[in-house]
Amino acid sequence: MPTPGCRVLAFARAWSPQRATSEELRAIRSHLRGLGAELVIVAADQAWRLRPDDDLFTLGELAARELHRDHGVKGEDAVLVLDHEHRIVFEHRQPTLDQPTLLASLTAATEAMLMPAPIAFTRRGWMQTCVVTGFATVVLASCRQHDHQDPVPEPAVAPPAPTHEIDITLDVNGQKRQLRVEPRVSLLDALRERLSLPGTKKGCDAGQCGACTVHIDGKRMLSCLTLAATAQGKPILTIEGLAKGGELHPVQKAFIAHDGMQCGFCTPGQIMSAVAVLADGRATSDAEIQEQMSGNICRCGAYPNILASIKSARDGGKAG
Amino acid sequence: MNPFSYSRPATEQEAFAALAEPGASALAGGTTLVDLMRLEVMRPDKVVDLSALPYAKIETRASSIMLGALASNTDVAYHPDVVAKLPALADAIRSGASGQIRNMASVSGNLLQRTRCSYFRDPASPCNKRAPGSGCAALEGFTRMHAVVGTSNDCIAAHPSDMCVALAALDAVVHLKSKAGARTVKLVEFHTLPDDHPNIESVLQPGELVTAIEVPTTPLAAKSRYVKVRDRASYAFALASAAVALDVQDGTIKDARVALGGVGTKPWREALVEQALVGQPATQATFEAAAHQALAKADTRPDNAFKVPLARRVIVRTLGLVAGGAK
Repeated sequence: MPTPGCRVLAFARAWSPQRATSEELRAIRSHLRGLGAELVIVAADQAWRLRPDDDLFTLGELAARELHRDHGVKGEDAVLVLDHEHRIVFEHRQPTLDQPTLLASLTAATEAMLMPAPIAFTRRGWMQTCVVTGFATVVLASCRQHDHQDPVPEPAVAPPAPTHEIDITLDVNGQKRQLRVEPRVSLLDALRERLSLPGTKKGCDAGQCGACTVHIDGKRMLSCLTLAATAQGKPILTIEGLAKGGELHPVQKAFIAHDGMQCGFCTPGQIMSAVAVLADGRATSDAEIQEQMSGNICRCGAYPNILASIKSARDGGKAG
Repeated sequence: MNPFSYSRPATEQEAFAALAEPGASALAGGTTLVDLMRLEVMRPDKVVDLSALPYAKIETRASSIMLGALASNTDVAYHPDVVAKLPALADAIRSGASGQIRNMASVSGNLLQRTRCSYFRDPASPCNKRAPGSGCAALEGFTRMHAVVGTSNDCIAAHPSDMCVALAALDAVVHLKSKAGARTVKLVEFHTLPDDHPNIESVLQPGELVTAIEVPTTPLAAKSRYVKVRDRASYAFALASAAVALDVQDGTIKDARVALGGVGTKPWREALVEQALVGQPATQATFEAAAHQALAKADTRPDNAFKVPLARRVIVRTLGLVAGGAK
């Protein structure tokens, strides 16, 4: 696999792989995967690298010493987050953690990850830091727990059931894309977070707003309510695959010509839905278009122009 | 979403075995299960994807239409034979959800969809359906969308399906299959009342699969309609809806079917209304008198008492549509 984009350095004196439970490692891997990050754990005289889909790799005593020296860490615990150009984007030394439990930290990290990202790119960098901090905290918290002679009792919550990651192949916009996912990963998250196709939007993540509409096997469907694992073996079309040879799809052109949007967040879903409604021959009247498009919510209220766009595309680009 | 293991059985036998395991949930279109797993209302350990099973066909037979359990709601609602022979069913499905959801949702998933009770969907609220014995937040809560018939002291959640209301009126039969063999259950007997066990919603057994729903194509069914009243013009659950079928000969009602949606804890067949129609002239006066029999034993609350007169009026309107504008 390619080198992940960012790296978390966790200086944790007491950590050792023998003490780490497989559940902890699995949970950490899962978050690393969502983020495209790798984790380097540095103990007093040993260091390990953990990537989402690789076994724990021992970097050696020399690496541990160099990492301590390079980052000026002398006997304290610390978390550093480096971006893809090795710049430190987050630094936390001698963390005074409130003994967060493994589960609580993971929940916090997961919640940060699931937050909607209306401004996809700037928000993402911030989110990465949040999430990275979340699971770095997990590492340190679990180390802290190992320091105690009397282990802190487990929280009265059942441990997460073991997950079974699966290798899947998705046929997206005419390309076969291979990835390893947990079964709970939605097609929407796989497209946006794993396949670098953020055109499909996450609005409600509950099947109510239509922003995540894609075509699966030629039919419009909600990618937020589709598990990525179940989308195998069927062609998937996203907004990124709609233009052909650099020319916009007629529906895309119509949305531009008729100003079928205001903020634009719902637009990829509106367009994917409209393309399918037209292909199915169901844009027979204004009322029927409105009925067919009712699963695509526009909070700006651009509905009159969306209707005009769809009619224009139906009538071959003439004024709607 | 809680982690779970995923399997996609290739044969019925594998599916029966997988679904008989504790903590297993069947996955068809995913529009209920994935939603509720994300809310942590449902937390299966094992998700069994049924999509490899050969249940997607819609088959027209001599006196019925077999709707495969995995046929999509769209496929059913736009199937030419369904449109021609079971118009109430086509209307009902088209009036539900959105185009995207109808493309995803299956026949069996629609049958087994969970209630939209907002307290059921909120893991922080007590709910006897989600967490048996924890209580019912709806009893003292906002109940505009809740049921007025079939309720119990433990649950007043409404059954959300439109499709099932039409199927209840059209005498549909659910085909089930398990390791032990095949059996059939009338649709009106498939869903169970909440009583003191609202967590049990149907007669489906662990390890048992819905394979198809069979709908008789009677002359009655060919003249059926579905009318739905809701808070928005589209993409909303029913406040009250009615599926009606009538056989009118020489101005006299020979046979009638009436079922209601949005008002019951299960799809609600109205036998008293049907009895009040049969043998009477197909007139507005008959329709109004018969509709008055509906929801006679309603258990209403201030928020949802409006559903009783509303449902009766929906019955009258639907009867009028079926009878062809009879006065």
